[in-house]
Amino acid sequence: MEKNSELLPGTLDLLILKVLVRGTMHGYGIAQRLKAISGEVLQVGESSLYPALQRLLLNGWVEAEWGASENNRRARFYKLTPLGRKQLGVERQEFQRMITAIQKVLETA
Amino acid sequence: MNRLLRRLRYLRDRRQMEADLAEEIRIHQAMAARDLERRGMTAAEAALEGRRAMGAIAQMREDARGVWTWPWLESVWQDLGYAARSFRRQPGFAAVAILALACGIGLNTSLFTVFNAVALRPWSVREPARVVRVFGFVRDVVKQFDTLGGFSAVEYRYLAEHTKSMSGLFLMRGEGGLHTDVGKARGQYVTANYFRVLGVEMERGRGFLAEEDRSESPVAVAVLSYTAWQNRFAADPAVLGRHIRIEEVPFTIVGVAPPDFGGTNPEPTDLWLPFRSMAMLNPNDSWARAFLRDRNSCCADVAGRLAPGISRAQARTELGMLRADFHHQFGEKSLGVVLRGTAPLQSIGRKAGNFYAVFGLMFAGVMLVLLLACANVGNLLLARAAARRREIGVRLSLGAGRGRVVRQLFTESLLLAGIASAGGVFLAFVLPRPLFTRIAGVVSFPLRPDAVVLAFTLGLAALACVAFGLAPALHATRDNCSGALKQRQAPARGSLSLRSFLLTVQVAVSAILLVGAGLMVRGVQHARALDPGFAVEGVDSLAFEFPTSAYQTTRVAGFYDNLARGLDGLPGALPFGFTALDPLGNTRGYTSFRLPGQDDSRRSGILTNTVSAGYFEILRIPIVAGRNFEPADSGHSVLLINQAMADRYFPHESAIGKSVIIDKPQQIVGIVRNAHTWTLDDVEPALYFPISYGLPPRLLLSHTAANMAAVTALTKSLDPRVEMRETRLSDNLDQWLSATRIGALIAGLLGVLALSLASIGVSGVFAYAVQQRTQEIGIRMALGARPSQVIALVFRSAGRPLLAGLALGLLASVAGAALLRQYIFGLSHLDPVTYVAVLGTLAMAGMAATWLPARRAVRVDPIEALRQD
Repeated sequence: MEKNSELLPGTLDLLILKVLVRGTMHGYGIAQRLKAISGEVLQVGESSLYPALQRLLLNGWVEAEWGASENNRRARFYKLTPLGRKQLGVERQEFQRMITAIQKVLETA
Repeated sequence: MNRLLRRLRYLRDRRQMEADLAEEIRIHQAMAARDLERRGMTAAEAALEGRRAMGAIAQMREDARGVWTWPWLESVWQDLGYAARSFRRQPGFAAVAILALACGIGLNTSLFTVFNAVALRPWSVREPARVVRVFGFVRDVVKQFDTLGGFSAVEYRYLAEHTKSMSGLFLMRGEGGLHTDVGKARGQYVTANYFRVLGVEMERGRGFLAEEDRSESPVAVAVLSYTAWQNRFAADPAVLGRHIRIEEVPFTIVGVAPPDFGGTNPEPTDLWLPFRSMAMLNPNDSWARAFLRDRNSCCADVAGRLAPGISRAQARTELGMLRADFHHQFGEKSLGVVLRGTAPLQSIGRKAGNFYAVFGLMFAGVMLVLLLACANVGNLLLARAAARRREIGVRLSLGAGRGRVVRQLFTESLLLAGIASAGGVFLAFVLPRPLFTRIAGVVSFPLRPDAVVLAFTLGLAALACVAFGLAPALHATRDNCSGALKQRQAPARGSLSLRSFLLTVQVAVSAILLVGAGLMVRGVQHARALDPGFAVEGVDSLAFEFPTSAYQTTRVAGFYDNLARGLDGLPGALPFGFTALDPLGNTRGYTSFRLPGQDDSRRSGILTNTVSAGYFEILRIPIVAGRNFEPADSGHSVLLINQAMADRYFPHESAIGKSVIIDKPQQIVGIVRNAHTWTLDDVEPALYFPISYGLPPRLLLSHTAANMAAVTALTKSLDPRVEMRETRLSDNLDQWLSATRIGALIAGLLGVLALSLASIGVSGVFAYAVQQRTQEIGIRMALGARPSQVIALVFRSAGRPLLAGLALGLLASVAGAALLRQYIFGLSHLDPVTYVAVLGTLAMAGMAATWLPARRAVRVDPIEALRQD
């Protein structure tokens, strides 16, 4: 059912950070957004999403706060911290390097 | 770093964090279900879909939590929980083990708390490690070695003005009993910079100003200690500016010291006074008047703070050179200076050795108790492990690594040691102060555990833990699993030998401790029965105190003359005597002498006292040769010596009529029998000068109501301002014995503790032996063995280590007891009574300890025993 099992390690963290650049969002929202942007390719389940979010919290890259959702339900919203913004840059670069490397291999080998 | 903080916060708010996560997931699923519904699924289908993901959720929550915690911490926590549960199942075992360890650790921690306070911890001032005491080397003519001494005020000023290695030097001198209008007080004269150099922040008011310490200063000021302010002024907030009269001189209070500063004397200081008040308070004492001006007026103590960046060695070199310069001006040689730390024992020089020896002995005692406790708990753990063989076997065969099981067992030991340490630290908070105060009186330094003590306890607990926990844990996991699962297998040979070893240690240690305790108790008994060589019972010693400002030396002498005449004139002429030193009164006077014909470098030190003829009569010390003092001797150079001096210095001739040279030749007119008037140890050579009332003597006379009334009336008639203080000589004797008696009490308690611990251990081992051999006993009884044979069988199994321990313990005692020799008043350290009593006690305790297990062995029902398993 879930197709994220094939994601490169660490990529999910990068994607979450990227999604949060546009503003605070709750867990379900993050998952929906990833799904929508990726054209339904990336369907992130709770079992990877929440451990990833906890990891980001531990590293101080995001902050969480309880608030009200769009239809006025209670939800926990995640927000990018300045440290997280910096980390996003680092991870993006790293990811780019990785992709380039992989592409090189695919093209030449 | 921040990660660590966040982790710790997570651990703290763990419940909240987990609840948040659970709530979040619930909301997530609700949102997902609503979306599904919106897309056309029925509610039931949506819920089912949601639940399908449930299996993963438990795992996911584990994963999410795993992000935050260290896995090993989790498992340690698990082990601790498991250990706690297993102790709860066997509360008896846990209680005995914890109690034994808490006693062992607590005694060690308590003793170390005292040691830390007297030998390690410096004055409680700002940056205490930079504060040092300064001593000058002094050649002691009497004892023929260099000792440490203080400085004259003049020399101190020279050092203080020229030093660059010290950022401040101050001078101080204690003054025992000052009479004030708020009672007797212990004072200390200090230079004005005292509080500033020490960095003591005043509770109220201020310290001294430089001008207050100049001899021309017209105002007399004082600083109170916090305790004196609390107790004598009821913490009066308006105490600053109040006047008190000290020795009839009015003083103004300008400051109150903070509560954590008890002063720089081992005894608590009630008030501090500038040095210049010394002359005001002792107008008739030429020494006190001259002290600030005369470089031959010695001595007061010097201490100071090292300048920034200067080491002790550098400061010592500089001060030594300054001292040499100072003495050079007068054509004298200087022997240099020594810098010492400020802990009480660090500054008393040579005498500290005796204290360290006592501490060494006491540490040996309490360490032995801890060793005993460890052996005891180790044995209990072994027995427990034996009972858990099956459990451990199952764990091993289910694939737990040996290391993992050892860790589990070791965690149990750690928990035991942890709880016991907490108990031990508690003991160290309540025990040292009252005990130490009983022995040494009230002190100015705190007797509480501090960080150093806690570190000591922690180290001790870790050591103990390894000592009692590791071997049993390794032992228990040594069998392979199949062997362990076969419950009926005979106990491994090795297990018994470890148990035997521990049993041997226990018996040996308790024998050593009992012998030590026995010797101490017998020593006190011995001293009580010892003939002090003079009359103690029924004799009183009266000390007289004069209003210092009104009495000059000549007037004091006149008072005693009148007193003696008055006593002589009383009807019935009661016997009385004068003495400078109270018999057994804790003060000794020394001088040095040489024999005619010897040169001055051969002078020998000798004990002295100054007495009247009546002294020997009232104390019933017989004159063995020559004669007593006579009234005509007053002003003549004659003296009496004791038998010990005659034996040492005039071994083959009569000493009567011979001379000794002190500053001029003095003739020996009589020899008196040896008496323990100075100490209860061996009588040292001593000489007696005839009284001249130079220093206020004490009056000795028989304690009867009539005598007391007569002396009181006589004193009142001579001068009503003179105060009279009465001491019974038997109290002096008791005081002498009390430190030893407390020592004996402590040793006795250690002995009893050791005995109980060892008994528990022995009892446990026998119980285990019986349990192990129930089946065998059953068979033997079925085959007709008599109860006595069964008991012999059980006893044989543990008898050898018992006897070995006893023999080892007694041998070690004989070797070690020599160390106690100087504390037992001449009792032989091989005192047979002690050893027989210890053997008897141990035998009785052993019998008591084996009785229960033996009874159980005899009552084994053969049928039951054989049917087991």
